[in-house]
Amino acid sequence: MADNNVSRAEYVSMEEQPRLITLNNISKEYDGVTVLDHINLYIRKKEFVTLLGPSGCGKTTTLRIIGGFETPTEGTVIFDGQDITNLPAYKRRVNTVFQKYALFPHLNVADNIAFGLKLKKTPKDEIARKVDRMLELVNLSGYGKRSVESLSGGQQQRIAIARALVNEPEVLLLDEPLGALDLKLRKEMQLELKSMQQRLGITFLYVTHDQEEALTMSDTIVVMRGGRILQIGTPKGIYDEPKNAFVANFIGESNIVPGVMLKDELVEFCGARFACVDEGFGENAEVDVVIRPEDIVLVGEDVGHLTGVVRSVLFKGVHYEMMIEAGGILWKVHSTTMEPEGSRVGLSVVPFNIHIMHKMEEANAK
Amino acid sequence: MTSFQAPAWSVPVLIAAFVIFIGLVIFYVIKSRGIRRPLFAMPYTAWVALFTVIPCLLIAYYAFTDAAGRFTLDNFKSFWDSDYEMNRELIEMGMDPAELGFGRGTVNVDTLVYSLWMALLCTVICLALGYPAAYIMADREFRLGATIVVLFIIPMWMNFLLRTIAWMSLLEDNGLINNFLASIGLPRLRLMYNSGAVLMGMIYNYLPFMVFPIYNVLNKMDLKYSEAAMDLGASPIKTFLKVTLPLSLPGVVSGITMVFMPSVTTFFIPRVLGGGNTEMFGDLIERTFLTANNWNVGSALSLIMMVLILLSLGLLRKVDPEGEGEGML
Repeated sequence: MADNNVSRAEYVSMEEQPRLITLNNISKEYDGVTVLDHINLYIRKKEFVTLLGPSGCGKTTTLRIIGGFETPTEGTVIFDGQDITNLPAYKRRVNTVFQKYALFPHLNVADNIAFGLKLKKTPKDEIARKVDRMLELVNLSGYGKRSVESLSGGQQQRIAIARALVNEPEVLLLDEPLGALDLKLRKEMQLELKSMQQRLGITFLYVTHDQEEALTMSDTIVVMRGGRILQIGTPKGIYDEPKNAFVANFIGESNIVPGVMLKDELVEFCGARFACVDEGFGENAEVDVVIRPEDIVLVGEDVGHLTGVVRSVLFKGVHYEMMIEAGGILWKVHSTTMEPEGSRVGLSVVPFNIHIMHKMEEANAK
Repeated sequence: MTSFQAPAWSVPVLIAAFVIFIGLVIFYVIKSRGIRRPLFAMPYTAWVALFTVIPCLLIAYYAFTDAAGRFTLDNFKSFWDSDYEMNRELIEMGMDPAELGFGRGTVNVDTLVYSLWMALLCTVICLALGYPAAYIMADREFRLGATIVVLFIIPMWMNFLLRTIAWMSLLEDNGLINNFLASIGLPRLRLMYNSGAVLMGMIYNYLPFMVFPIYNVLNKMDLKYSEAAMDLGASPIKTFLKVTLPLSLPGVVSGITMVFMPSVTTFFIPRVLGGGNTEMFGDLIERTFLTANNWNVGSALSLIMMVLILLSLGLLRKVDPEGEGEGML
């Protein structure tokens, strides 16, 4: 999908940074199965880029190609102006934090962190100093002599980050590094990683299937599916203006209903006509209409665009999640006020919150 | 040729053991008020007691008694001086063995040293041959790996006596190898009846026991470790030396144990491939029991062997404190 020239204008400071990594038309096949299908992507210096998608979308393969663990079937990887497509992993100026940390069980914490430095024949006292500084950075000072197996998952994860960062890589690749942690720890680590990245000024390429994680940390999110890039943009850009129904559904929750674009700024679905802000779809075009659950406003029965019946109510903490049947469709609605099950309510949406999308070509996106 | 005479006390001891066993079973059933799962372990306990513990105790008993059943350390003196009994008889007859030109008989100790040396050689060579073989077989990109594993296993389906005899027809003066050499005009070689042939036979028989533990460890080793090493800047050679090799040590320890132990006690192979020229400790024990008909000295020799094996196991445990090597035993 070479047509992903999504504007990154929102991040002007990012725009000023030179491109560090460029993927040109990368394809990867395993035994005839296409895992990556002509990927084009660039990553700027000091940028926090997240590859986001469901499992099997090719995000980890993309990371491994940049790390040097896989060679693409087609295409080139450019790093700092040089073609590194066939450069072996140990000669690349990138380091990886692996999904299951891959800490060496036969070495203690300090020796794990020092592994890369020792290979570079760094003087001993410098190694000791750098290891101590890294342990401090990840809040594990004094853990140097411990065996890695005695550490908790969160601690192992920090050591894995320290082991990679101590080599001062230009790019840090992170393959779902928080996947094995519990929710609370994961949230803490998200913030810690983000602040670490900003402090050290290192480019992060982060792989996750967790959309919330991606929204929290990234400068740029790359949404992938079936070996293709569906959308590239800032977290806010992708959340507010998803390019198709898949992205809309994957990033946050969505109501996606079939509709007809009658003309510019007027759409019909569920038998009612709605004003919207989208243009350029032509007249009487079939489209997907995407409305976020929190954008549906509950109003009096007679005042709304649609009238419906509350079918179920779930308490979610900050809000209630209600399933409301209206116009033959079950709508997911988030609201801080609760309407009891069985009650009749009116649904209303402001034009700005109605997102119109081209019907997704299912064949294209698998 | 059976000279086995169970000591007179063995029958009452066996009966007592049986009674105690039944008593334990009944006690357990009463105590746990019914038949619980651990009870099913009792037959195995009895089996182990009957065929492992009691024979070991019997060996110890014979080793410390003489033919009349009296306590003695003479059997161990016979190990140190294989002519001890003969010399003692000479002294009892009023003669001085030294005057007659008889000194200490060194056969037993020499044989033990020779066996240990051969076992060490065999283990080192098996390791040198076996590690690369296991490494290649475990390589995920080497698609013939699984086939080769099977090829390694197939000969083990045959009896090891047969396999050893098969080597004879290869190495004999008129064997396949010599006939081949002769047919291309080269002189025939003396391949059999020397230590080299014995070592060859031992390596052939014990190599799989080195290959499989190492192969198992390498095959199960997560690729992520070597990827992490490469990621941190280690070349393929450094990756092997600093990560793969240390992580495969449990397999190596296992392999060394499984090759060294049977190597020390090897018998039959030296007799077939070494002719009369070489004897190893296993053969010596067999000869002492069956040919010399001396169960007491034979037991002493066995006991010394067992202690040596236990010591080497203890040493290995120091190298491999988690004891992963022993899981294979």
